[in-house]
Amino acid sequence: MSFAEERVFSVAEINALVRELLEGEFSFVAIAGEVSNLRVPASGHVYFKLKDSAAQISVVCFRADARRLDFEMEDGALVIARGNLTLYDAQGSYQLVARVIEPAGRGDLERALRILVARLREEGLFDAARKRPLPRYPSRLAIITSPTGAAIRDILSTIERRFPCVEVLVVPVQVQGDAAPAQIVCALDAVSARGDVDVVILGRGGGSIEDLSAFNHEGVARAIHRCSVPVISAVGHETDVTIADFVADVRAATPTMAAEIAVPSRVELFGQLSALEQRAAARLAGGIDSSRRRVGALVRSYALGQVRGRIEHAMQRLDHASQRVVRAGHMAVNDRRAREGAFAARLNGLNPRDVLRRGYAVCTSASSGEALTSVPDAVREGSVHIVFHDGAASASVHGAVAPAAHKQEATHGR
Amino acid sequence: MADEPVTFEDAMTRLERIVADLESGTFSLEDSIKKFEEGIRLGKTCREFLDHADVRVRTLTVAANGEPGTEAPVDNE
Repeated sequence: MSFAEERVFSVAEINALVRELLEGEFSFVAIAGEVSNLRVPASGHVYFKLKDSAAQISVVCFRADARRLDFEMEDGALVIARGNLTLYDAQGSYQLVARVIEPAGRGDLERALRILVARLREEGLFDAARKRPLPRYPSRLAIITSPTGAAIRDILSTIERRFPCVEVLVVPVQVQGDAAPAQIVCALDAVSARGDVDVVILGRGGGSIEDLSAFNHEGVARAIHRCSVPVISAVGHETDVTIADFVADVRAATPTMAAEIAVPSRVELFGQLSALEQRAAARLAGGIDSSRRRVGALVRSYALGQVRGRIEHAMQRLDHASQRVVRAGHMAVNDRRAREGAFAARLNGLNPRDVLRRGYAVCTSASSGEALTSVPDAVREGSVHIVFHDGAASASVHGAVAPAAHKQEATHGR
Repeated sequence: MADEPVTFEDAMTRLERIVADLESGTFSLEDSIKKFEEGIRLGKTCREFLDHADVRVRTLTVAANGEPGTEAPVDNE
């Protein structure tokens, strides 16, 4: 064919010809597929794509027809759209002008998916019994997702806020398109083989509406299943759960929620730490109190002279013990956060000086300085010192007080 | 005293065990105090972990053929 014979079309001409062919051949067609990229601008016309695993077609449903829709159109819905094909001149693209749209009970896409789901379920891939518990405090976490989407940003900022001591391994993959399933499988296998990752988040890109077919892929499902590390999926939408979500150990509704599930919150952990320290301090205070009581019982039940050495030794150890506790406690109390709560107060209760501050006093021998722990001791010494929290006073002991009077005083004093 | 804990999990798990030990009441006062002191140290370590400034982020690039892939630090925000 020479140039002279060659027919050169204008763009408008060729579009008009193709339109004629399209409208002639496909004046009435029914197409089943999944709704995505649904848009309803102010005009009231409804625009969306119909897609299946590998292809898509643009659809418009004009306002007059859209008004007659008797179900809620939404992304992810499986529908059968009936109408005619036409060409959209401005873009040179063809589209379906849908007159009637119905929910598809048994679309091809859904049927294939159902068969796969049934098969995998039978094989036990979705069994609740094989879901693994997540580590409470992970050290290293892998994120398999698109490196450019909103999902990775959401996950990283959530981790930064909640649990910054975790190390994050980002494994960038395509989450849609032909290469996506193979990349996701390789990423899962690589993470699984490392042996140093505690938990995996598998996420989509986080764009508005994406093709989720990679996450309905059988190979991806099996890779999640054989992964040696627990997997959290952050793939599906509220209304559209993927096979990956079924197989994963935990399903999160959004990438942010996946991160919240993966790591604990530092605010809560600070609270838990304080609670643990308080429990430890309470236990120890109890232990020291009961030791004090035991020493007290010793004093009362033995002839003082025989056991004085033992008692003094015990007392000394006890004082030493409470000093150490107070010192250790100060280490914690110095911490801004641990200062809150009853912890500090409890520790201070162990300090002997604070006991004196509460109105008790210690009576010591004026000559030896040793603590006097009984009435006969004090009477025998005669000249004593009374040690208060702020110093000591000298005093003379005139004799024992009659038991009845002593009892009355004691009751009154308490 | 045991080795310095290298992870938050290690420190926290040890602290929890110490509190459980203390609450079991089976230790002498002397041992209880030792445990308490270690618990306080571990609590401090836990807080230091949580106050850690930044998440360490690395990228793992996986080859299509499933080769182990290469790892690189990310100098992000």
